[in-house]
Formats: sequence, C-alpha cells, structure tokens
Amino acid sequence: MLVVVPYLIQHPGTTLDEASALFAIPVPQLRRDLEQLFLAGLPPYGPGDLIDVDIDEDGGIWVAMADHFARPLRLTRQEALAVYVRATELAATPGVPVAPALTAALAKLREALGPDALGEAAGIAGAEPGTPPENLDAVRAASGSRERLRISYVAQSTGERTERVVDPEAVFASAGHWYAAVWDVDVNDERLLRIDRIASAEPTGERFEPRGLPGAGRPLYTPSDRDVDVRARLHPPARWVAEYYLVRDVTEGPEGSLEVTLPTATMGWIARLFLRLGSDAEVLEPARLRDEIASEARETLARYGRRLPSSG
Amino acid sequence: MRRLSSRTMTGQDTMEPLERLLNLVGLLLESPTPLTFEQIRETLEAYQGDNLDSVKRKFERDKDMLRAYGVPLEMTGTDVWDVEQGYTIRKDRYYLPDIAFTPEEITALYLAAQSGPAPTDAVSGVRKLIYGVDGGVLTGSPGGPLAMESDTDQDRLMAAAGAASDRHAVRFGYRTAQGATSERTVDAFGVVFRSGRWYLVGHDHERDAIRAFRLSRVTTDLADAGAGIDPPEGFAAIEHVESAPWDAAGLAVAHVAFTPEAAVLAEGNISGASRDRVREDGWIVLALPAADADTLGPLILQYGREAEVLDPPALRDDVIARLVAVTGA
Repeated sequence: MLVVVPYLIQHPGTTLDEASALFAIPVPQLRRDLEQLFLAGLPPYGPGDLIDVDIDEDGGIWVAMADHFARPLRLTRQEALAVYVRATELAATPGVPVAPALTAALAKLREALGPDALGEAAGIAGAEPGTPPENLDAVRAASGSRERLRISYVAQSTGERTERVVDPEAVFASAGHWYAAVWDVDVNDERLLRIDRIASAEPTGERFEPRGLPGAGRPLYTPSDRDVDVRARLHPPARWVAEYYLVRDVTEGPEGSLEVTLPTATMGWIARLFLRLGSDAEVLEPARLRDEIASEARETLARYGRRLPSSG
Repeated sequence: MRRLSSRTMTGQDTMEPLERLLNLVGLLLESPTPLTFEQIRETLEAYQGDNLDSVKRKFERDKDMLRAYGVPLEMTGTDVWDVEQGYTIRKDRYYLPDIAFTPEEITALYLAAQSGPAPTDAVSGVRKLIYGVDGGVLTGSPGGPLAMESDTDQDRLMAAAGAASDRHAVRFGYRTAQGATSERTVDAFGVVFRSGRWYLVGHDHERDAIRAFRLSRVTTDLADAGAGIDPPEGFAAIEHVESAPWDAAGLAVAHVAFTPEAAVLAEGNISGASRDRVREDGWIVLALPAADADTLGPLILQYGREAEVLDPPALRDDVIARLVAVTGA
C-alpha cells in the first residue's frame, strides 16, 4: 500500500482492474485494503491529514490523503540492483525497440539513487546487441495481434526449407536467440521455431485463438519417441556440446573427456556436428553414424574438387 | 505465561495489520523528533493493550515487517545526550527522490522488469517508480511483452551484481569450458551481459589477473569473501568478456558460399555474417568475420556439403585438411 497509494493519488480515477493488474493484487484484496486505508490516518494527524477513499460505480478509485503518502518509498538496494540488471540484459538483446529508452532510464536511476543503492553500478554492463533476425518484428507483431502467418522455415535438423502456416503465440529470447512458440496449422501440432531461421513471413489476414502454448521457460528441445540416442565421447575442446545441446547420462571419461548421450531426431544434422568437432569427439554408437560422417566428409570434399576413393 | 483475556484478543483482532502499519509509518514520518516506544503507545491505539509483552512483540513484528519492505525505520537517541532511544523514519531516506522519467523510459523499465522468469525484486522496484508517470504504462510495446529467459541462476546473478557494486570479493566453484573445476576467489569488478549470457569480471586471486567467469559455469553459490580491491584506472568490464570465438573482430573477412537454406542458418548462427552476393547457381556468398582458422574452419564444417569456403586460401586449405582427416584417407 505504501507503493500503491502514491500511484492512486497521482492518478485519480484509476480503476480497480487497472490497479489490480499493475500491482498484481487481486481486486477483492485491493478493495479490502483500500477500505482499511480509510480507517488509517486518524489522529495524531491534523484535520488536513484525513484520508478519504472513494470507489465509484465504474470501479474508479479516488484517494485524497495525507501528504506523507503522496510519494512512494525508495527502492531497496536489492530492488535497485535487480532493475538495473534486468534492464541491462534487455538493452543488450538484439531487436529490442525500447533499448535506447532503457539506457536513458538507467542513467537517470543511477544519478537519482546514488551509490547508497547502486554502488558502482557502472560495472553492470551489456555488450552491443548485434543485428536482430530479419523477421523478428513481423513475428512479434503477428503474435501481439494474434495474426496467422505463412512462413518459410529452414530447420537446422534437416537443412531443408518448408512452407508452413503457423499461429505465433509466444515470442521470447533465450541465451542470445529469439524463439517463437507456434501452432503449426498443417501438422496440427505445436512447434518451437528459432526466428532467425524464418526466411520469410507473410500475414495471412486470418486471426487465431491462442491455445496457451508455453513461452519463455519451456525446454528448447522436446524429446520424441522417434529420437535416436547417440553416445559420444567429448574431449575437452568439445565439452561445450554438453552446454549447448540437450544431453543425458553424462559421465566423466578419461583425460578430462565427457561421455554423453545426445538424443537426435535426424542423423544428417548430428553427422555435421561431428564433422565440425573432428578429432575432438568420438562417436561410440551407433556405428552407422560414423559411416554417415565419413560420407558427408567425402561429399563435402567433392565441393573442393577433391575426389577420394570410397572406403566402404 | 499469562493468559490473554478474551476482551484483549478481540481488541487486537479488530485492528487490522495494514491500518496499524500505515499509522506507524505516518506517525514516525511526521514526528519532528524520534519517538520512544512509550510515546508511540500513547498515540497509536493499536499498541495500547493491557498486556505489555504481547504489545511489544506485536510492535517488534511490525518493525521487522516494515524493514523487510524497505522502510528505513531507525533507532536513535531522542536528544543530544542519547539518554533515551527512540524510533524515527527520516524523510530523506524514506521518499523516492524525483526522477524525471519520460513515459517511454518508464514503459521500457516496466517491460524489462516483467521480462524475467518470475516476479522479482525488479518488478517491485519498478512499481515504486511508476507513481508519477502519465498513464499508458500498461499499453506495452507492439507485439506484447518481451519475454527473456536465461541459463543463469538468478540468485547467483544478483549476488555477483551486488558484489561488483560493493567492490567485494566472492568465493565460488567454477568449471571451465574444458571441464576443469576449481575454487576461485575473485575481487568482483563488474557483471557483463554478452550474446545472451552473463559473466562476472574481476581479479582472480589464484591467477593474479583479471578474468571473466561465465555465471552458468559457476557450480556453487557465491560466498562473500570480504572487501575486494578496486579495479585499475580506466577499467571497463566489457573489454574482458570475449565474444564467441568465431565472432572475434578480426580484420580479415572470409567469403563462404552456402546453399540458400544453409545461408539462413549461418546468418542466424554466426554473428557478424552479412550477405555478399548471390551466385549464378543460386548459392549465397556470405562475408564472415574471420577469426583464426581453428575456430572458423570447424564452424563452416557444420554446414557439410552445403558450404564451400571461397577465400582466404588458408581457410580453404584448413577445411580440406580437416575433411581429409575425417575420411581417414
């Protein structure tokens, strides 16, 4: 209430619903608290300090009360730091339209709150955000207005481009990439798409009803029954794989290596991952993945005009 | 233990906590001098029960609750001789100073606070900032809220940010990218967000050098290790956090041809990639910031037969050598 009341004094006529949403207080509790407010502020205060709370028929809240509650409390140190950290993170994410406003707001916050609250806040910094995906704005706008999109999407797992009609329900950033949780109308199932892999996006003019697909916080990879388990040994330079991809049954191997199981839906993608890792990783099973890697290597060498005899 | 009379109980219950707390805050804010508990009792009905012990306990609870909420309730001498101790809330420590945010700025802060994984201190902090701003805060930005998630433990992130702003040292367990684990003690200088990840930058006692630690690789909570040293003159934490090895800002540029599909993937995966031209066969040539061959070569191999290095020749040779090694020929 020490935070809500100053807002209500500054914004006469704010409705119960608005205040409830803004401060995350359920309407019945808000109403109860406001009624109590009416009881507070009695003596020892002078007559001018009486609190008057009125809720009109439309749910508008009108508060007139002692000057001492016309301004809110300072931010606690934890709150100030948390605002600073969050805003820095968002401002350093590509494709955030409010980034310049955030940077300006943080400078004002730092100056006003001073070292007591923020200490050497200058040490909290974000890097240049880089270029956002080309179709981020289009997908975000469609998600906001619940508009069905026709997209062309390149899946990392197959390397193929497909045309799809999707309902983009939730858009979120995770570990430096933007994602869209969509309902794929053609396959009648949900999909998680990386927005930088959307090669084109056209509005269809149709609207959709959200199904409540989970957004931020969901697992980025959903295992399926059709997945094949790949068991591999990752030498130290390849250990990053265990941080970037979903792995299980992780055990420490000899000489700083790591043994992991990588569930995968397609062999083509995983073969190319091991092509990249080269001698830094070994496929333990399935054996046919090793053939696949060698075959991919031969095909790639052909691009460079090198022909090698097939070993098989 | 004395039994409370039913009358006292009733009296206490009718006085709701919110009303009591607001009255206490109002009284202490407006009083020109610190007030003793006795003086507070005389003024506020809520603390006037017969049972002094229980009233005192109630007052202690209220005090703790207000402090937890951030109310700077202090205890100080009531006169210059400090004979008696009284309670006070100093206005300059209580009130948020005026900050002239524009509506865009406050909207941005509101969005930022809401972007995290769960309601946090950031949300309650921003709620305190919105009181004086013209309406429209709730309208948000086109396309709805900006949801973010992070692989960093939020408590550890806040502990690192707190240590950096306090210039404290912290002790924690750390696992390097290569898998080596060790205990580190670091004078915290800053925290940096780069390419979707948070890093702690500071002076590593063991190495006696400035190092950056990715917070998702920290294996324990961060323990406070007391006051730390100051960073060197002109220190900028951000300069100590390397970008991903393949987007190191090398001067050289490599040209790599991709199938149209692989080009879409590569543009998203390799930061700093830009379209150079479209070849007659439909392949797309991307200009990539060329780090050393050790990092860019493997990265291009991930596109298999759908990518071909055009130049520089050293990178082309490197990729061919790696492929030959894999075929075992």
